[in-house]
Amino acid sequence: MPKANIANGIRRLRFEHDEMTQQELANLAGCTRQTIIVLEKERYVPSLSLAFRIARVFDRTIEDVFEYHDDR
Amino acid sequence: MATVWITLAVIGGVVVIGAIGRFLWRHRPQSEMSGVPTAPLERLGWIGLGVTLVIGIGLAILVALVGTDFIDENTTARGIFWLLMIVGFGAWGASWYVIKRRSGGAVVDERDRAILARSLSVESVIVLLLLVTWTIVLTEMYWDEGVMPITYLQLIFWTTFIGGAFGRSLGIVMGYHREIVVDA
Repeated sequence: MPKANIANGIRRLRFEHDEMTQQELANLAGCTRQTIIVLEKERYVPSLSLAFRIARVFDRTIEDVFEYHDDR
Repeated sequence: MATVWITLAVIGGVVVIGAIGRFLWRHRPQSEMSGVPTAPLERLGWIGLGVTLVIGIGLAILVALVGTDFIDENTTARGIFWLLMIVGFGAWGASWYVIKRRSGGAVVDERDRAILARSLSVESVIVLLLLVTWTIVLTEMYWDEGVMPITYLQLIFWTTFIGGAFGRSLGIVMGYHREIVVDA
């Protein structure tokens, strides 16, 4: 199954933040749990707005959470 | 001659539904996506597919049993049709409120909105196919007479309305079954 050319460390960051659940992250970032699930599976590229909101939840910069891969 | 064209139209419809079924089967969720709960909008899409299929088949059965004049002349058949429409679309609308109430947090987000926007293209194709089919069938049936019964106008409207709702639901379901990543 093809993956997005933007990787992310959302799953790792959730566990580093007191094992935050997908639903908690979804509520804080203002999206559905399904979107968090497909983001973690790298099947979806979020908008800049959502990417910033997710980075803000973890108190990180957007580059700490998301990484661009040219070769996918 | 009319029977031939109606038969061809029905065969065409079956082929289109078969192609849609084949697409959904080929793009069914892979093992790595198993366990992912269905998105609220996707649930609404599946309900819409079921509702519009039932109404569409019901309308086809009414036309086959009573004929195309049922809209004007047969009160019982017209009552059954309106009952199907009101109960079907009413249940579809009510299901959205139930889904919204049961879902915690956001119900529709940017990914859902992107899928919803793209579903319009499927709706357009279905509506176009229906209009082309009606045009060919009616032209072939009534070419010699030069006029056609007025009830066909209402049938064209209702089939396009039901087909449009079917196409929108199908577009939503197909959007969630795509392997390609959806960019917002």
